[in-house]
Amino acid sequence: MITSIAHATIYVLNQDEALDFYKNKLGFEIGDDMKVEGGFRWLTVYPKSNSQLQLVLAEPKEGPMFNKEAAEKIRSLIAEGAFGAGVFETENCQQTYEELVAKGVEFIQPPTEQLYGVEAMGLDNSGNWFSLVQR
Amino acid sequence: MATNNKLKKVKAGRDHIADNFYNALSLSDMAQHAHISPYHFLRVFKDTYGETPNEFLIRLRVAHAKKLLITENHSVSEVCEHVGYSSLGSFSSLFLKQTGMAPTLYRRKLWALSAEPFCFPAQAIPACYARHFLGK
Repeated sequence: MITSIAHATIYVLNQDEALDFYKNKLGFEIGDDMKVEGGFRWLTVYPKSNSQLQLVLAEPKEGPMFNKEAAEKIRSLIAEGAFGAGVFETENCQQTYEELVAKGVEFIQPPTEQLYGVEAMGLDNSGNWFSLVQR
Repeated sequence: MATNNKLKKVKAGRDHIADNFYNALSLSDMAQHAHISPYHFLRVFKDTYGETPNEFLIRLRVAHAKKLLITENHSVSEVCEHVGYSSLGSFSSLFLKQTGMAPTLYRRKLWALSAEPFCFPAQAIPACYARHFLGK
């Protein structure tokens, strides 16, 4: 039986810039930030109140998984907004939305009533969408 | 479950711990930043986060110590100081309790696995990621 989700990956264009965004704009905490042999940087973040699921901020680079062409393709798809980080929960969508807008976070949909709650949709600084939901 | 207002207060206390774990921190320091009494802070914190403020503090310190032991060439006493402990003895026994090995043994074991100095060995991150990004 699977009991929980520990890590999920989001591809970003630049780990330093993504870390700045997730930490200083979204208010996430750093889980791990370690240089791993082979030039890989293991970087995870999580919302301050819940560290159970951590987001791995990874850069698509030429290496064992991607050839040069594939890495470049993924980078251009990220910038086009083809990928998403998923749903982030909030106690108050409107309030969080306003806080984030004030910090310069770009939104493609303001808080909107949905069947499951109030939802806004924003973009991280790589171009990945994330959904902000109040249930 | 804490009410919204109480949750905000306890979060402020938790943020204070997360931002200052490398300093000496008492329960009353933490509670002061949350603007609630130490007893209530302890109780609401445990209810909200599933661990006591002190358990959270120890977790942050040990996690940071692990990183320093592998990625920096500090002595164990320096690492102990960096993560907010004044007594090497209590740091070592906490570390041992949390990770199952003494700080020096932890360092020796992980350094032996790493192909590059001052880098985390690929074995210390989830294997799926090592395989994906490093081909190991």
